[in-house]
Amino acid sequence: MSSVTLRELTKQYAGNAGLSLDSVSLDVAHGEFICLVGPSGCGKTTALRMIAGLESVTSGEIEIGDRVVNDLAPRDRDIALVFQSYALYPHMTVFGNMSFGLKIRKVPKDEIKAAVTDAARILDLEQYLDRKPAQLSGGQRQRVALGRAIVRNPAAFLMDEPLSNLDAKLRVQTRAEIARLHHRLGATMIYVTHDQVEAMTMADRIAVINLGKLEQVGSPRELYLRPANQFVAGFIGSPSMNFVPMHVESIDGGIRVVSAGGDMDVNLDDVESAMIHRAGVSDVVLGVRPEHLDHRPRSGRGLQLSASVDVIEFLGNDEHVHLSSGSHELVAIVDARTPLTIGDTLTLSASSEAIHLFHPETGVALK
Amino acid sequence: MTSITTEEPNVTSPKASRGRGWWRRNWVSLAFLAPGIIWLLAIVVYPTIATIRFSFFDESATKFVGLHNYASVFSTDEILTAFKNNIIWVLVFPFFVTFIGLMVAVLTERIRWATAFKAIIVMPIVFSTTASALVWRTIFDLDPHIGVVNAIEQTVSDWFSAPGAYPLNSSTGETVASLATFNAKGGPGGTLVSSSAVQPGGTVMMGLTRISSVTLQTLGAKTPVAPHEMAAGIAGLVWNDFSTSQPSNTTSIVSDEHGLPNLRLSLVSSKGSSVASTVTDASGDFSFSHVAPGSYHVQILASNFQIAFVGTFWLGSPSLTPVSSLNQTAQSLLSVPLIDLAMIISYIWIWAGFAMVLIGAGLAALNREVLEAAEIDGANEWQTLRRVTIPMLAPVLTVVFVTMVINVLKVFDIILNMAPGSSQGPATTLALTIYNDGFTGGIHSGLASAVAVILFLLVVPAMLWNLKKIKG
Amino acid sequence: MSQVPSVRERRTVGLLKRLRLSRAVVNVILGLVAVFWLVPTISLLVISLRPESLFGESGWWTVFTAPSQLTWGNYTTIFSQGFAAGGVLDSLTTSLEITIPVTILVALISSLAAYSLVFGSWRGRDWIFLVIVGLMVVPLQVALIPVVQLYREMGNLFGLNPYGTIPGVIIFHVAFGLPFGIFLMRNFLTGIPKDLLEAGRIEGAGEWKIFYSIVLPLALPAIASLAIFQFIWVWNDLLVALVFLGGNVHTPLTIFLYDQTRSLAANYWIVSTGAVVSIFVPLIVFFSFQRYFVRGVLAGAVK
Repeated sequence: MSSVTLRELTKQYAGNAGLSLDSVSLDVAHGEFICLVGPSGCGKTTALRMIAGLESVTSGEIEIGDRVVNDLAPRDRDIALVFQSYALYPHMTVFGNMSFGLKIRKVPKDEIKAAVTDAARILDLEQYLDRKPAQLSGGQRQRVALGRAIVRNPAAFLMDEPLSNLDAKLRVQTRAEIARLHHRLGATMIYVTHDQVEAMTMADRIAVINLGKLEQVGSPRELYLRPANQFVAGFIGSPSMNFVPMHVESIDGGIRVVSAGGDMDVNLDDVESAMIHRAGVSDVVLGVRPEHLDHRPRSGRGLQLSASVDVIEFLGNDEHVHLSSGSHELVAIVDARTPLTIGDTLTLSASSEAIHLFHPETGVALK
Repeated sequence: MTSITTEEPNVTSPKASRGRGWWRRNWVSLAFLAPGIIWLLAIVVYPTIATIRFSFFDESATKFVGLHNYASVFSTDEILTAFKNNIIWVLVFPFFVTFIGLMVAVLTERIRWATAFKAIIVMPIVFSTTASALVWRTIFDLDPHIGVVNAIEQTVSDWFSAPGAYPLNSSTGETVASLATFNAKGGPGGTLVSSSAVQPGGTVMMGLTRISSVTLQTLGAKTPVAPHEMAAGIAGLVWNDFSTSQPSNTTSIVSDEHGLPNLRLSLVSSKGSSVASTVTDASGDFSFSHVAPGSYHVQILASNFQIAFVGTFWLGSPSLTPVSSLNQTAQSLLSVPLIDLAMIISYIWIWAGFAMVLIGAGLAALNREVLEAAEIDGANEWQTLRRVTIPMLAPVLTVVFVTMVINVLKVFDIILNMAPGSSQGPATTLALTIYNDGFTGGIHSGLASAVAVILFLLVVPAMLWNLKKIKG
Repeated sequence: MSQVPSVRERRTVGLLKRLRLSRAVVNVILGLVAVFWLVPTISLLVISLRPESLFGESGWWTVFTAPSQLTWGNYTTIFSQGFAAGGVLDSLTTSLEITIPVTILVALISSLAAYSLVFGSWRGRDWIFLVIVGLMVVPLQVALIPVVQLYREMGNLFGLNPYGTIPGVIIFHVAFGLPFGIFLMRNFLTGIPKDLLEAGRIEGAGEWKIFYSIVLPLALPAIASLAIFQFIWVWNDLLVALVFLGGNVHTPLTIFLYDQTRSLAANYWIVSTGAVVSIFVPLIVFFSFQRYFVRGVLAGAVK
């Protein structure tokens, strides 16, 4: 196991004007489970493939352990990669698949056998060792792919959306299995996914990438509570955070933030006022998560708004309510027992801690 | 068609209403199928059955002869040769064409000009085998002024042993000794030696003949001049002792004769050792000065007559296997005629593109991630190719291989067009035998039919394999 | 990347060198292969463009040092006969007269049969298809003798003996083109959703209408592949033409070439010029429809 460090890693494909990966720096500690997350095409897979050595580095450095590996072939980097398609060798048995890397490295036969048996036991694959991939279910294939990585005992595990080909139920199950595996092996893992739920549930830390740029790195809690910018705020959490453009007004020497129609207003505390003041903006984007909107009027500082109910999605314990407030659309999560009908006008509020304010142009969080 | 006929009685059967309904629903569909089925029955299915029937009848197709034709097949040298050649084709061609197709398809993925390269390799498929065979016939031509292969061989061979100024004509079996006419006789190791001995102060004249006028012209030969005696030296002349005006004069110089320039000579002492050497001038004269007293002979070196390059008769039937000591039948069964090799090379040129396209498509359809997984697992390119790529391509490789086996079982055009008349017999194949026996000269339709049936039986395994592939 | 330590710099150079070397090796190997593959075609072109008198005097490759050898003379000579029987232009016409009808007939009949086999609702369709697939590998040599006799019978019965005529060749070629044609078209048509046809039926279209206004337009790429494949196949045929047309005054180009080599064994110059004429048409077809041709090759792997 070793740490992995990216220093200003940049990738530009030939014939492409833009950068697929733009100066990404990231420290992955020894034994850490880190998720690279972002929308498809954001560059997260490119970053992973560069770490694996499958893509060349345009500029910057990749360090695994204490070695700069920029110019090393994949086989010399001591990493294992679990592919999205599993990439099992179709003509080999499960045993053949798991032992191939060791055979190539001329590991003695009995050692290979021990390593494969061990991995097969951990992954519950013992009775399938003689089967070909075509005779396995999707979940089993996925475990073989993991097993192929485990037997190599690499410095770092790289995983490229390993769960995306599984059905929803199996995905949840395997998610837990991978997390358990991580604890058991104590291995450094870099895991790429577009699914923020996967990232939130598994990772020690999450690196959010968008358009080739690293937006924020932090623990799931940090990202949820203190998103660095509007993109991260919108990407993490489901349903997505509500964003409303607001206007900053001066009153009585202080300031107030209101929406265009006046259906929403925020009663700022001193810290928030100071921040807006410092940013020197006359407009801000207000962000509030659906789960933080309460069906009651404001008491004290915070947001208050009135909105009419458009759609109600019943989900059992609670309901997702789609609302319109003036020209803005919002989603709120309310207790399913709340008696609501379409067309009702509600008064909702959110506490001061639940409110996010973003710079209208740069999207950077103001608080 | 079978469905149409089996359902027909239904129209008048007790279940007439159901039959009529069936017809009403399906007659358009069956009408769509009818032209194709009728065509196939008339020109493919019926004739195939008829051929099987013919193969049991005599030449007039009236008298049943049982297996007689099949017995003849295996006792006719021509057909046994055809079998042998088909076996050579099947053993050699499919393997090489698949192998080359694979190598080229794999390597093509690494170059920037892949599109152009593929077009170049595929192009020969669209040429008729007739045209291709003719091209390759010139390429393998014996004459190095026509055939590239022999031209290259000549260039290489000339590096190692250049032909002399007066190469013997190998085609007429000419020998060095036969060139001597006056005061010359065959010496050791393909040399010519003056018949008379000579002492210093004396002269030597040697007459040769049968030197081609083209050679003389090229060398700029002049009228010979009789040698002058020189003190303590030996002077002499070598000339082409043949005059068109006085053909019978073989003892003296005539004005329309020519000296032989550029001949390499050496002076041989009575003990047989060479003491001096020289080269004749444009009029054929030479001299050795400062010769010690004694008796000498003048020797014309063998290198002057070094045979010019003899091409490889690629289109001929010399065998690549040592069979000359065997009897006629064994020879025809075991010899591998050179032209088979030439034709197989040409046929590879035609079909490698086909293999490349198929294998290339197979490669493109492979899951790239599997190959990357092998890379991550530590396999180098060769290991990846051998242990991952090729096993994954196995189905495609089999298709290519089987297709090529069927193809060469039927190989015909290239032999008819590439083999010159003298090689047609040794190079013949089953398909060519069917054509020759069935349609040219004395027609043996029974024998030809038997061979056709055998050819058909040989492709049946491939047919079943095909069906299995499509059904499964 | 700007302040790279020298150690790494050296390593980078080493890696690049290795990569470039192996890529260079591949380029050289494939370059040689390409040259080898081009030599025959180039030699054919050059021989056809050199005067008859130079053939056998010096190799065609001397043209690279003496380009003044080139002349259109051979073409003028072989075209001078015009369309008279036995000339190259007559053979070109004959080749077209055989190839075009065969191509159209095979494409049409195969499409109809495949339509029936895919969209018909009667039982036994798959079974008939398998028989047709089996026929794909039947060597045409097997059918030659009986078909010649069949043609003679037709002459006796109806006074129309196709033997020795262009229709006789066409009939035979169509028959042996059909199994592959039906195979290819059926494989393509199975990919067309049945809903589309049912939509047509609901609109009130009959089978024929559905065939030519819905299925045919959709199947055009497959028909193109089939047609090009069939065209080149028939264009290049020698055996069938030899058997059924051997004695005819009008012969296709393959027989023209074959006769020239046989009767004038040394006259490669006229043979080469004729060969260039004969490969000209398929080359145009190939380069204009390369993609369809390759698709046909892929589909025809079993032929």
